[in-house]
Amino acid sequence: MTEQRIHEVPDDPLDAIEYCYEQGWTDGLPVIPPERTRVEAMLAMEGRPPETIIAAHEATGLELSLHAAAANAVMAGCLPEYFPVIVAAFEAMQKTPFTFHGSTASTGGSAPLLIVSGPVVDDIGMNAGVNLFGPGNRANATIGRAVRLIILNVFRMTPGIADKSTQGNPGKYTFCIAERADANPWPALNEELGYGPDISCVVTFAGAGFNNVENHGANSAEAILTSMADSMANLGCITFGQSVVVLSPEHVRIIANQGWSKPDVQTFLYEHAYREIQTVQAVGKYQRHQHAEQGLEEVHRGYGPEDILVTVGGGDAGGHSSFIPSWSRGRASIMQHQAIGVCIDC
Amino acid sequence: MELLDPTVRGPEQQHKRAAPLTSLEGSTIGLLSNGKSNADLLIRKTAEKLIARYGGKHLEVVYKNHASVPAARELLTNLSHECDFLITAAGD
Repeated sequence: MTEQRIHEVPDDPLDAIEYCYEQGWTDGLPVIPPERTRVEAMLAMEGRPPETIIAAHEATGLELSLHAAAANAVMAGCLPEYFPVIVAAFEAMQKTPFTFHGSTASTGGSAPLLIVSGPVVDDIGMNAGVNLFGPGNRANATIGRAVRLIILNVFRMTPGIADKSTQGNPGKYTFCIAERADANPWPALNEELGYGPDISCVVTFAGAGFNNVENHGANSAEAILTSMADSMANLGCITFGQSVVVLSPEHVRIIANQGWSKPDVQTFLYEHAYREIQTVQAVGKYQRHQHAEQGLEEVHRGYGPEDILVTVGGGDAGGHSSFIPSWSRGRASIMQHQAIGVCIDC
Repeated sequence: MELLDPTVRGPEQQHKRAAPLTSLEGSTIGLLSNGKSNADLLIRKTAEKLIARYGGKHLEVVYKNHASVPAARELLTNLSHECDFLITAAGD
């Protein structure tokens, strides 16, 4: 399943791009043709043999080798130094609680959100600042795109065939951000997750979409986080699933200046992101079994404060933070993390 | 220019169809829910209609761990020993 198949195409790059379209290898946008020397340069960033399998879909038996990952990374426009991030992301998604196949197939239309933390962010020039989720940075854009191309080309999650997303979401083109260390008053994610300051990591999260949380008038932690909690508990979003909260530098400065720690923020959000049972029942979303596991009177988002990942990112100006709900009506996917560039087999 | 193929070949599939039942008379029906809200209702009602017509019985509903993951092999193996055929559904 992992042998290298070669396609001889004309030397004209535009013809080669058209050839990639004809093969069905693209996400709709033009790709860099996966020319041999470029794929080999990508693979040179890995210490393991190209045939090494780093992820698989249990339901289909399809497997991702380093070789296939490298070819798709080239097509996405990645530089070789980005490759370890992509490898780590798939090693994270391969962990059972992530529900890799289900999250890529579901009507829910989730996209794997990658959050990169640690020294690799600056090493490879990722954007953690202005226009965090938007265009303009090669690393962010192409790492996220490589994830999608692999899902399409290796795992065959073709829209309408294996990928049954009702509406999808824009993150299915690319959904990769970096944590902003210089604006983060709290321990970075890589340290919080136990990797230490010198080891970078990627967190993978089956994200259902992007919610902007605007509040320019708030001057207290409570006011900012009440806005956030309200977004997290809206009836379209509330489930027992996990959450990602990205606080903008402006918001996090106000919160931290008030002496709040990250666990304080998580606890506040968990306690305030809830709806009454009757309200959730009235709209047909109540899930008795999961609510019993949660063990509270109201329906809260997640099972506890630790289900809310809090990070920092975005430009210096603006009272705009964001909330990304998890895929599925429940807890179908649990976010995972993986060290970047640290061989787990050797 | 040499391009390296970014796709992979799928595994050899070993699946084959079970032989069709010659009769439903007096069958034991297994019920497998995918766990979504109305799957139980759908498969129970279907089983009851079959039993009304052909007799037999149905087993208690068993559940996948989650709608988005495959049923555990052990669960399917056990069911195959306990029933003549299985009804499953994605009831939303």
